[in-house]
Amino acid sequence: MKLFGVLIPEKEQLIGTVGDVIKGKAGLSLYASIFGLLIGLYAIGSIFIRGHAHTINTSSLVPWGLQISTYVYFALLSTGCTFVNFFGHVFFEKQYKPFASRIVFVGIITAVAAFFSLTTEMGHLERMYYFLLSPNPKSPMFWMAIWYTCYLIIITWEYVNIQTNRHSNRVMWAAFFIAVFTHSTLGSLLGSVSSRVYYYSALMPIYFLFIAFLTGCSLTTIIAAMTVKQKKLDENYHLHPFVTLLKVGLGLALLITFWRMMIGLSAHLEGSEVFSLTLINSVLFGIVVVIVIPYILLKIGQSANWLIFVGLFIMGTQLKARNDLVVGAFKIPVFRVYDMPEVVHYTPSIYENLVVVASASLVAMLYIVFERSGVFEARNIKEEH
Amino acid sequence: MDQFDGKDIMEIMQEDLLRALKKPRKERRWAMAIDLKKCIGCHACTTGCMSENLTPPEIHYRPVKEEEIGEYPNTGMRFLPRPCFHCDSPTCTPVCPVTATYKRDDGLVVIDYKKCIGCRYCIVACPYGARSADSGHYFTGDFHEKTYEVENSGEYGGNFKRKSHWHSPIGNARKCHFCIHRVEKGELTRCTTTCLGNATFFGDINDPKALITKLISKPNVFRYKEELGTKPMVYYIT
Repeated sequence: MKLFGVLIPEKEQLIGTVGDVIKGKAGLSLYASIFGLLIGLYAIGSIFIRGHAHTINTSSLVPWGLQISTYVYFALLSTGCTFVNFFGHVFFEKQYKPFASRIVFVGIITAVAAFFSLTTEMGHLERMYYFLLSPNPKSPMFWMAIWYTCYLIIITWEYVNIQTNRHSNRVMWAAFFIAVFTHSTLGSLLGSVSSRVYYYSALMPIYFLFIAFLTGCSLTTIIAAMTVKQKKLDENYHLHPFVTLLKVGLGLALLITFWRMMIGLSAHLEGSEVFSLTLINSVLFGIVVVIVIPYILLKIGQSANWLIFVGLFIMGTQLKARNDLVVGAFKIPVFRVYDMPEVVHYTPSIYENLVVVASASLVAMLYIVFERSGVFEARNIKEEH
Repeated sequence: MDQFDGKDIMEIMQEDLLRALKKPRKERRWAMAIDLKKCIGCHACTTGCMSENLTPPEIHYRPVKEEEIGEYPNTGMRFLPRPCFHCDSPTCTPVCPVTATYKRDDGLVVIDYKKCIGCRYCIVACPYGARSADSGHYFTGDFHEKTYEVENSGEYGGNFKRKSHWHSPIGNARKCHFCIHRVEKGELTRCTTTCLGNATFFGDINDPKALITKLISKPNVFRYKEELGTKPMVYYIT
């Protein structure tokens, strides 16, 4: 199997891209992503060197903060890319094909970026080998690790198949189902926590899948719109599947968000006050801003530039929505003593915010470098012959 | 001196403890009972626990919840000390992905500090807020060394010095362990011995002669959030 030029950039192309960076000809987006990655790496380095006490704002009251939200966000983006790849191949084969390798590649790098963020949250990252030496099959987190490994392998396999013109429907179906299992397991990780009513729900695994579909649709729409512009393809023809999938994603997100909120509001359990406490945010932000406004924006226009804007809008709002979901469960302390506030407020530190920047920049930088090095073109050139 | 059947209760509990230690570990069932009528909210148990386990800021293995009850003029104070409940059906142990927290055969829920990866899932899962994350804060300020704060607390009988964030228990989940390092040497838990009102009782509930077994077999006993089905091993006497 040819590695350089098919799966990863040709050495010459890669050297050329690095040369462009040095000469100042790499373009603003690549410089921005490199800068973001550098300051993000500085923050991650600080977290590891100085420790959590001096860098991050999580505590015993808010054990999971922005880094976990970022992990969830990127993991869902990755799943969404796999879903779009599946539905694209099944329902819109010809329109979708020019974007397939890009989308699966982004699926891989977003999954890597998710782990990038997760590692900074761990108290003792160096002990992760205990997942192998001392596994606990009762733990959803253990199963998440297993499924995640399978997921990374299968989407890499799918990428290899697409890039080498040996696309296999079996691998594509396997990737789809493994993505469903992996990310519903991630949902179950929260959904099975009976002590936090804000999480505890059988809806949670389904919620994660529907939101994954929406966020994946928004990211892939951006990629498709950028590719269409760059390669001067027919906008209407090639972007139509993405607009359709995006609308479906918004519908699914509305359905699951609304019912999760309504069922939560009807609960009379300790901790269910969070649903009423966050009601205004859930309606105005969680539904109106995150779902209704993007739908209206899609109705206003469907040009490539406009779709890039709508995609970015959804991705930005979804990041806040994921943070609201993860952190929301800790608003009411389960046992309030001493000077604990009645409602816990959490504001991420600058280091935590920079971890988000690092993860996003990693994805952007790798995509731009691969794109500039012509990896995604290799397959299409081959096909034309 | 507080007495039970004409005998000092501390002496009774000490005898119960030594009798329990003669049995094989799996035949013991450690439990605690707290008499809420006797608790005066002095926080001596909290303070004793902190000095015993050298817990850092914001980590309390045994806080005491203070609540005002009733309406003026019929008001009063209620104090509820909360150690780890060492549940018989805990929600914290099944979620640990690496089995770093587990239930011993004597009923204690413990944390293996050398194995804990610091994912904090157990902290999220505990319905009693009994677990804390040790992020590495010190009372004496940042990066202090050679103070009592970096000494070995003796928890779990291990050599766990809080020297830096690379060293456990910093980075780990932490919680009350019923002073197992004391108990296994034949000493009662620190909170039991420091309780001014003699409101805390500790012992083996598998021993029908033990004081705690007699106390918890009365009708005026409840367990916190018992409806969750966690079967806590801490009983409150009202």
